[in-house]
Formats: sequence, C-alpha cells, structure tokens
Amino acid sequence: MTHRWCLGLCVLLAAFVAVPMVPPAGAAAPLDLVFWGGWTGPDGDVMHQMVDQFNKEHPDIRVTLTTLQWTPLFDKLLTSVRAGQPPDLMAMHSQDIAQFSSLGILEPMGETVAAAGFKASDFMDVAWRGTFSGGTQYAIPLDMHMHAVYVNLDLWKAAGLDPNKLPVTGTDFVAAAKRLTVDGAGRHPDDPGFDARAIRQYGLGMMNNHHGFYMFYALLAQQGDPFLAPDFSRTAFSDAKANAAWQWLQDLVFKDHVVPVGETNPYQDFVTKHVALLIDGPWEIPGLQKVGGLNWTTTTFPRVFAAPAAWGSGHLLTIPKQANKAREQAAMTLAAWIVHHDQEWGLSGNLPALLSARTSAAFRALPGRRGFLESQAFEIMLPDVRPSAQLYSSAAPSPIVVAAQAALVRDQPVAQVTQQLRNQINAILSAP
Amino acid sequence: MQVLPATAHGRRPYHGGTRPTPYLFLLPYLVVFVLFRFGPVVGGFLTSFTSWSIVGAPRFVGLANYAALARDPLFYTSVRNTFYFLVLTAPALIGLGFVLALVLNRPLAGRGAARVLIFAPYAMMSAVVGILWTWILDSNFGLLNYYLAKVHLGPIPWLSSDAAAMPAIALTTVWWTVGYNMVIFLAGLQDIPPQLEESARVDGAGPWQILWFVTIPVLRPTTFVVVMLTIINTFQVFDQVYVMTGGGPGTATLTLVQYLFFQAFQTFKLGYGSAIAYITFALLLAMAWLQQRLLPSEASL
Repeated sequence: MTHRWCLGLCVLLAAFVAVPMVPPAGAAAPLDLVFWGGWTGPDGDVMHQMVDQFNKEHPDIRVTLTTLQWTPLFDKLLTSVRAGQPPDLMAMHSQDIAQFSSLGILEPMGETVAAAGFKASDFMDVAWRGTFSGGTQYAIPLDMHMHAVYVNLDLWKAAGLDPNKLPVTGTDFVAAAKRLTVDGAGRHPDDPGFDARAIRQYGLGMMNNHHGFYMFYALLAQQGDPFLAPDFSRTAFSDAKANAAWQWLQDLVFKDHVVPVGETNPYQDFVTKHVALLIDGPWEIPGLQKVGGLNWTTTTFPRVFAAPAAWGSGHLLTIPKQANKAREQAAMTLAAWIVHHDQEWGLSGNLPALLSARTSAAFRALPGRRGFLESQAFEIMLPDVRPSAQLYSSAAPSPIVVAAQAALVRDQPVAQVTQQLRNQINAILSAP
Repeated sequence: MQVLPATAHGRRPYHGGTRPTPYLFLLPYLVVFVLFRFGPVVGGFLTSFTSWSIVGAPRFVGLANYAALARDPLFYTSVRNTFYFLVLTAPALIGLGFVLALVLNRPLAGRGAARVLIFAPYAMMSAVVGILWTWILDSNFGLLNYYLAKVHLGPIPWLSSDAAAMPAIALTTVWWTVGYNMVIFLAGLQDIPPQLEESARVDGAGPWQILWFVTIPVLRPTTFVVVMLTIINTFQVFDQVYVMTGGGPGTATLTLVQYLFFQAFQTFKLGYGSAIAYITFALLLAMAWLQQRLLPSEASL
C-alpha cells in the first residue's frame, strides 16, 4: 500500500508540473526572445519596465531580460555562443565592440539598422561612431553616460557655499571640497590643528577602481595627451602629463584629505552624507531619487588642466550571430522599439543617444541631469582595442585597476605608477 | 561456487562481488562524478596545453602556457599571497578550532548555545560574509574602527593597505569557518574512550599531561583530516577575496584562484587559466605528501 501511495503521489506531482506547460488549445505560442544586459543598478529596473511594456504591446513576442554584472555576463555570452544558444539581443559598451566582433560572434547590423529607419544623423555623433569596428557597424546606440559631480546641496549650503556657483575648475573644486571636509572639532584641511585621523565629513567621494583610471584618462585628455597611439599598438602619453594627472588625483586623498583613504562605497557614503560631493555616473540617479531627505544636484567633471574632458561610454544593443534568422529579425524589432523609446530609457539616468529623445522637453525636464548634459559636450571614450577585456577589466590585476589603486590607495610615487601602467599596457598590446 | 540457502523472504543474501545491486546504487553518483568532476579534470588538463577563448576551436600550443607562467610576475605574486594567506589562516583555524572544541566538550552551562553561535557563521553564504565584513572593516566608517576609536586606537586601513588587507581577509575567514573545524574536533573528542583518560588520571597524570599524552595522540586521525581540509580550502580561497578586495589594493590580495579566474573568465584565456589550475593542484599534492610525512594519520600512544 505504501508503494502504491507513493506512486500515486508522484503521478499527481508530475501532472501538477506538466499541465501548465501544455499550451491551451488553439493559442499560438509567442516567440521567446532572450535579452541580456549588465544593468544591475537602479537603471536595470527601468529596462525591466520597458521590456514589460514591449511584451504588452507585442503579444506575438515574449522577451525575457536577464541582468547580471558585465564581467560574468560576457562569460555567459561566450559560453552560450559556444553552446549554440546565444541571447537574441545583447547590450554592451562601445569599448567592447572590437573584442567581440573580432571573435566573430556579432552580427553586422548596418543594413538592419538602416532598414529599421535609423541613420547617423538621428544619434549623437560619438555614440553612432562607437557602434563601428573596422568600418563595420555591429550595434545600434542606446545611450551615453559619463562622469560628473553630484553635490549634496544641504551640506553645500551649510558650508557657506553658494549653490548658484558650483565649481568648474580644478582649483575651485578642491577649494570647495576642503570647505566641505570637517574634522571632529569643526576644522577644515587648511586650518591649524586639523586632524586628518578624525574627519567626520569628507568633501568628496570617488572610486579608486577602474573608475579611478577613467578619471586619470580624462585628466590626460585635458592636457591634450592621447592615451594610445592611433594604431593602438602602444601607449602614447608622456610621463610628465600622466604624472600630473595621477598627482592631482592622489593629492585629493593624501595631501588635501578631502577623499576617504581606501573608500569602498562612495555612493553609499554620499547617500549617508559622509561625503558631500560624489564623482560618479548618471546610473545612480534613479536610486538617489528614491532616497528621502537628500537634496542634490549635479555639475560638470572639473576642468583641472587646459581643456575640459570627462570620461564617458555608451551602451549599445548588439545581435549575436545565430542560425535562426526569424529570431534575429524579432531581436531587431525589439532593439528598434527600445531605441524609439529612448526617452523612457532616459529615466534610468543614462542620457539617450537618440537626438530626438535627448532634446525632448520631457527629457530636459528630468531633474539632476544638468551636470551630465554639460559634461557630454566634452565626453571622451576609451579606445576600442581588441584586447579590451585584458586592458579594461574592472577586476584586479588588470593594469588600469592596479594603477588606480597604486595611486589612490597605496599612495605609490606617481612616476612608478605611470611606468608600471605603461609597461603592462604595452605588454598586452604587443602580445600576439 | 557455494550457493547460500535462501532466507525466509525467498531472497539469497549478498555474496560479495556477484550481485550488481550495489553498483546500480552507485551508478547515479558515478555518472554525475564522471560528467561533472572527473571529466572536467581531464578536460582542464588538456585545455592547459591550448590557447582557447571559449569561442572557436582550441589551438594546441604545447607547454607555452606553463613557460609563460614561469615568466609571469603576477603568477609569483599570487603564489606568494596564497601561501601568506595559508600561514595567517590555517594555524588559527586549526588551533582555535581545537581549543573551542576542548572547551565546549566540557559540561559547561550554555555550551549548546555557544556551539550553535560559533558554528552559525559557517551556514552563511560566502558573498554575504564578504559584504558584511566589508562594512565592518571599512577604514573610514566601519564598525571595527568605530569601536577602536572609542579606546583611542586606529583607525586601521583594514582593506585599503597592503599590510592590513590580507590579515583582514584572514580574520574574516577565521570568523566564518572556525566553527566547522570545531565540530569535527568535537566529534573526534567524543569518540575518545573515557577509560583512556580515567586510567591516565588513576596513574597520576594531570590535565595537561592527559591532553598531551592521551587526547592529542588519540585525536591524530581527526587532526589529520582537519589539517588536510583546512590547507586545501585555504589554498583555494576565492569568494571572500573577490567580494572584499577583488585582489587589491593593487595585487596585495591576489591569490592563485583569483588570478586563475581573472585569466580564464575575465580575459578569456582558458588555456592559461587551466595551466594555473594545474600548478595549484601540483602544489596542493606536494603539501598533502608533506603533511603525510610530517603528520601521519595513525594514532600512537
């Protein structure tokens, strides 16, 4: 009896699981599309909402969005391509296109983008150019994002600073950051008796990982030095200008004492009002808008040297190669829909690459974008090199993370940092 | 061949070597083991002789990956860091685990609750432990430096200095996993026949003498297992390093598995990553051999 009872239970369980899998009689199953993106921050929520909207408007297509951190997402992309089951639509950055197109896994999209009615003049020029590698277009632009400075207006005013005069130059920026840095006795970094070991509020929060390198990259460009040679075969920056860039950043931490040493979570420090300024990207905007009691605005990345420049990148939508052309066509339908709704994607904080969305009244009315919109004018992107994963990986021991941490955490002499960075990058670029 | 008489249920007892039933029971596990353990081990070894980026066919390169490792300064950094982590963590995990087991093997009030509290961190996921301790150890706003400041100590740059980063990860690891060693030692202690200690006591041995001449020698098989497992696990440290420091600051906490992960899955050089894996395996085998020579598992009285 016990055996029969168990058998009956197993049959019931199997039926319970199997029955929902049987489609109702007469219903045409929608085409299932797989869409992957690395938006694990608040911006990911916006893309999920957009995908839900697309699914409602297209009952013949059902899109499943998976968001994962970019690095494991790219591992997943390569293993899924190997298994013959790539995602139908894949988001990435402009600096990733060369690597993945050289592996032969991306479908050229020039004709499909044109057939969907898009052309170069519809987009920000730098965003459009970022979709090309070796003269072939492999993506459609979605957005642009760059560094700017978030300002806690309450702490700004409490320090006696004018909210209508946000810093533009590096000198003004450091002066403001010092004014916003306060030790336990209320002293600022230039005051006699200032105790750098007892700071209760710092002026600035900034990342010391790959974003630390991105700030160096921008400061190098502000001095007119290119990072790599035009053929991407070697580095092209001068020691003097590279050292000056690292030194300015390093001094913020170890000389001016306006940045916490070894800061692990600048965004969290800004939200909890431990720091008054934050250098970060626009993807934090949706999260900041949900924080109660935080009065903030944005201003441009500081112009420290001769010309303004701020690191930036852009998200793109690509279609991995696959045998099923119907799925590729459906993926292009999805990509085109998302780009046509670029204004809604602007709610994620990222700036739409589509000009009509970017210049729309609705987008311009969104709060907090001013600093990013102004920085966009002098945004510079990383060179699109083939070994981008080795050069630009966000994990140690990639050369950019090692260099940023050497300068901003370990306080190594900047000449040493520059030399090590040059050697490591040239070794990667010269490898067969 | 002698055929044994049937039992009352009409079945013949197991004869040893002639019935396939035990192998049928083992078969599901064996299939899984071959597919997901043994197969990848062999596949990884073969991959270490290739250049392969997951996509496309692997290209045979002979010993080039191993030769490149011999010239790779980051590889030596990762070996050094791994051994440093082992030296910091293993003695603490083994010694503290043993002491905790000794103490909590005694009939103390609240020992049940103490055992649970000490073992409880082990049930937490490594990522949760890493995030929790990253907050605790934050140099500027973390809990530990806050309380150190109350007693006029610190602040200590736990995760942001070369000197303190690896000890900080070791501290986290000991807090997280010492409970596991404690439980294994407890089981070993409870297996010691009480007559051994009683006869030593009758012979006039004091507590320390009983510990040194009775408990520790009889516990040798358990100690062997704990030492072996601790060395293997600490040598393969990855999770807490990945979450807490990512191998930084710079390369101060870059360990072998962290470097393997970077090469294989972040720069898509599977052949090179496989070579690192097999060097790691060879180092672990060497240490296991050394342990067997220095600390045989057989008990001796």
